[in-house]
Order: sequence, then structure tokens, then C-alpha cells
Amino acid sequence: MELEAVRHLTRCALQNLEAHRRRIDDLNVYPVPDGDTGTNLTLTLRSIVEALETSTAESSEAVAKDVTRAALMGARGNSGVIFSQIVRGFVDVLGQTNDVSTPRLRRAFRGASDAAYRAVKRPVEGTMLTVIREMAEEGERKENRRLPAPTFLGTVLARGEDALARTPEMLDVLRNAGVVDAGGAGLVEIARGLVYGASGEPLPEVPVESEALSIDAIHLELSEYRYCTVFVVEGESLDQAALESTLEQMGDSLLVVGDESALKVHVHTDDPGAALSAATLLGVVDGVEIANMHHQTAQREDRLLESAGAPLPTLETGLVAVCPGRGNRRLFESMGATRVIEGGQSMNPSAAEIIAAIDAVPSPEVIVLPNNSNVILTAEQAALHALKAVRVVPSRSVQAGLAAMGRYVSTNTPEQNEQDMLDGLASISTGEITIASRDVELDGVQIRKGDFLGLVDETAVSAAPDMSTVVEQVVARVLEGEREWLAILTGEGAPSLDGLVAAIEREHPGISIEIHHGGQPHYPLLFVAE
Amino acid sequence: MIASTELGTIAVSTEAIAQIVGQAAAESYGVVALAGRGRFSRLFPWGIKKGVDVERREDGLAIELRIVVEHGLKLAEVAATVRSRVQYELERMIGVPAAALEVHIDGVRSS
Repeated sequence: MELEAVRHLTRCALQNLEAHRRRIDDLNVYPVPDGDTGTNLTLTLRSIVEALETSTAESSEAVAKDVTRAALMGARGNSGVIFSQIVRGFVDVLGQTNDVSTPRLRRAFRGASDAAYRAVKRPVEGTMLTVIREMAEEGERKENRRLPAPTFLGTVLARGEDALARTPEMLDVLRNAGVVDAGGAGLVEIARGLVYGASGEPLPEVPVESEALSIDAIHLELSEYRYCTVFVVEGESLDQAALESTLEQMGDSLLVVGDESALKVHVHTDDPGAALSAATLLGVVDGVEIANMHHQTAQREDRLLESAGAPLPTLETGLVAVCPGRGNRRLFESMGATRVIEGGQSMNPSAAEIIAAIDAVPSPEVIVLPNNSNVILTAEQAALHALKAVRVVPSRSVQAGLAAMGRYVSTNTPEQNEQDMLDGLASISTGEITIASRDVELDGVQIRKGDFLGLVDETAVSAAPDMSTVVEQVVARVLEGEREWLAILTGEGAPSLDGLVAAIEREHPGISIEIHHGGQPHYPLLFVAE
Repeated sequence: MIASTELGTIAVSTEAIAQIVGQAAAESYGVVALAGRGRFSRLFPWGIKKGVDVERREDGLAIELRIVVEHGLKLAEVAATVRSRVQYELERMIGVPAAALEVHIDGVRSS
């Protein structure tokens, strides 16, 4: 990506989006019908364009960084936030080299879609997300892979338009209102601006719109004047129109609101004194605020630079967890684990892997959950050699680790977290179902190779060729004492749980049961009760 | 939450309100988890109320919401979206927005 080219493309995108801003505002019914999607997207994109005007980035990577940062800082509203994430994913890929060939564009669209989806727990389809995802999917179709870049972009844009047209089928609020998704419409117009900009064709004509932006938006508009001036005039039978026409000649972004007895004035001008003089002729001036906008812009730039390298202020305690299975990984991540390392019974991670994860966590202190009795020692080794203060909470299994995880609060101190999590471990009982790999006698239980083997708190309690017998016994033991909560993690080879859940509910009324897909190998079922 | 109609009263439990709030928050862009001090059921549909605290006060509902946001997003905008979306959903589904709605960003996740 070259700075000049990116400047040109983003300007084209902004130009096209601005032309559609009002129309998009009017579409907005989701997630909250407040009619500002077009404006928010425009302001977000504008902050990228502005940042590029003053950027001195020389490398592709530096351009990407400037764009990402401007999108983050300038993000306005829900659609702006989603868009900032799409931009981030897109330029992350394109920033790697100067090459903008079809394969790289394909990956950029994929990166944009993945980044956008990563940032939401429950994605809603029929929104901007759907549009970017379908664009990425179109880019990955076999027959599009060899297209020259301009044709490729055109094809992807067409799919975006098609996806947008189908958004009412996916989201009831859109269908009821008879509109397409506003954010998606904005994204399509941005993409259209980029595509036309890239091909050098003139943008399609749209009716000119002259409606002014709202008062908040005005503040963010570029102004050639230096001072943002705000004041109130109080008097009798104030002439709003006359004041307006006087001030109009002094600057821009003018707003005069109020009634005969008081008018609030907002104007960007190079001569605040003249504006105030004009007002004093009419009445008493009060509440004067004059801000140097050039200075504000400079301050904002400074803040940008400062925030770039600083660690996240909200993260007091980082958390590294080791666990097997994609489902378990997602569970830990969605509960706030900062890093998750794949590993467990048959694939213990090395101390070096754990240290690398500890280093990658953006907080000075870290808690490690080994989640396997064989990993505890390695984790303690890693803690000794890491450069940060590390506490190992010795969870002996994934399910125990999850129970401890439930007590973790990233904004609490490491001491507090360690204590809470240890308390968590002390108050649980765990169970697991696995398959015996050889004939053996364990804890007084006779086990044959291929049998299902049930363990409770790591002690063998039952073995049989029939899984349901073993499960029953394990569950009964895990629930001994006064348990009020049972979680089940299903792994590879897990059976249907309908009958089991019904039976538990019959025998233990009042217990709350939850089942999650853990995806771990070798252990069809894991249990934890508290 | 109780409404009287000519046919009788309609009561909405705190639980149900918490679920509406949790659902709205979980669907808000930028929110990758609901946090809080409960067990991990708080993260999933049937346990989503865990990051949500609903209190009935004389002036109406007071709601506290704890969320975890994706790193690299503008936190203030995400929180503002969550607030307006929750209020909108409450208004739409039970007819009354919360009298107080606090959104705590409990953590930031980097993926």
C-alpha cells in the first residue's frame, strides 16, 4: 500500500459515502432506530482521510498502522466501531507488502470479515457483518481467484450489494420497516467508492444533498477557521435571523438556537472578538467558550501517539490457560482468558511456550491455569523463569480450571484473583469419563482394556463396557454433599445427554445443570460440581 | 415489574428482565463476554443473566451490566451502544426503560 494511492482511494470512498449519507441515516432501524448510521460512518471514514492527509508514513506497514489508528480513534457509533474493525482486518493484510494483487485482496477481505466477527459474542446476521462476510466468501470462490484485480473488486462489490438486498430476509426488524440494513448500505457505498477509485472511473451520480449535519457532528467537521466559539446572548426580542446573517460572514459551522430572550451561538471563526461584538449589540453576552481547534487537533494527535504503546489500563491481572479442544479454548476465551495455549493430557506444552504466552499478555502480573496435573510443574517452572510476576493456580483438570475461571476478574489485583480462584478450586468436585488403554487395577477397581473408566477427583470409581453405567456412578459421586450446580463438558465421542440430564433433575431437584461443548480428545465427558 | 389490565395483572420477573438485558448486551457489537462474579454459566444463553444485576427500586429498575470488550475498539462507543440498545429493548419488550443503567467494562480481550 502506498500512501498516495491510499489517500486517493479513501477520498473516493468518503466522497461516495457522503453522497449517500442522508439516505443511509433514513434507513437506520437496527440496533436502535436513531437515524445516525450514515453520519457516524461518514465521520469515522473522514477521520481516516484526515489522518492520511497529515501522515508521513513511508512504508506499507506504517500506512496500515496510521489507517488502523485513525479508524479506532475516529470510530463513532455502533456502525463506526464495526467499520473500524473491518478496516483493521483489511489493512492488516494489505499492510504486509506493497502488493495489491487479487490473492492479497482476497485475504484482505477474509481478514476484514474475521476481525469483524471476532469482536462480537453473538453476531447478528442481516447487518454489516453479513455484508463483509459474503464479500469475503465471494472473493474465495474458485472461479474468482484468477480474475484481474479490478474485475475481482467489481465481483466482490456485486456480491456485497446482493447480500445487502437480502438483509431484510435475515432480520425481522428490517423486513417490518421495509428497509435494508443501514450499516450494510454504508459499507457497500464505501466499497463502491474504493472500487471506482481503483479503476479510475467517475463515481455514479447521486442527487445532491444539502442538509446540515447535527450539532454534534458539526464539531467534528473539518474547519478552515481557527477558533470554535460558543456563547449565549440574553436580551429582549432578540433577532435570530439578523444575528445569523451577521455571523455567517465571519466563519462556518454556524448554529444559532434559542428564543427571543436567549440565543445560543456556535461558530467557527478566525475572529471571535468580532462575533462577540456583534452579539453585544443585541444583548448581554454570557458563557463564552473559545477553543483553539488547531491546538485541539494537535493534542489529539499527541494522545494518539501516547496511547499506541501503552499497556491496556483496565487489565490488572492477565490470565494464561492451558487446555485441549477448540470448544474449551473458546470457553476460556469468552470468560476473559488473555491467552490460551492448546495442550493437556497427551500434549503437554513446554515451559517456553508458557513463558511466551506470559510475555504476550499486556499486564505486569499474570495468573497461569495449567488445567492438568501433568502441566502444573511445567507452569511453575515457567513462572520461575518469566520476567513478570506469575502466580500458578494449580488447577488439575480443565473442568476445575473453568470453575476457577468463574472467579477471575481481570480488573482485580493478582492477590485477590489468586485467593478467589483457590477458593473456587477448594469448593468443587470433578469427574471424568475416559476409555481404559490397558487392563489394570486402580484404586480397587478392576479395569479391562477398552472399558469406559470413570474417575472422581482423580480416583477411579467405576469401569464397565457400557458407558451409561459408568456415567451414572460418576455423577452420583460428584453430586454427593450439597451441590447446587453441575457443568458437563462434552468431548470427542460424547453420548446424547438428554436421558442423563432428565434423570439428574429428577433425583436432584433444584440443581442447575449446564452443558458445553469442550471438544477435548480422549475424555467423552468431564464433570464439575460446586 | 407488574402491569394491570382489565383481565388481570401481568408480572415480569427480575429473571426475565435480566435475560432481556443479557441478550441485548451479548448481541451488541464489541461485547465478547458478559463478566461478573458468577460461575461460567453466565456466558451462555441459559445463564446469560450472570453478568447482569437487576434491582427494583422505587423509581424503577436499576441495572448493572458487566461486559468484556474486544481489544482495539473504542470502549466509550461500545458502552454507549450497549446502553442505548438495552434501553431500547427494555422499552420495546416491557414498555419501561431502566431508571438507572450502569455499564462496567470489566475487561478487554485481545485475540
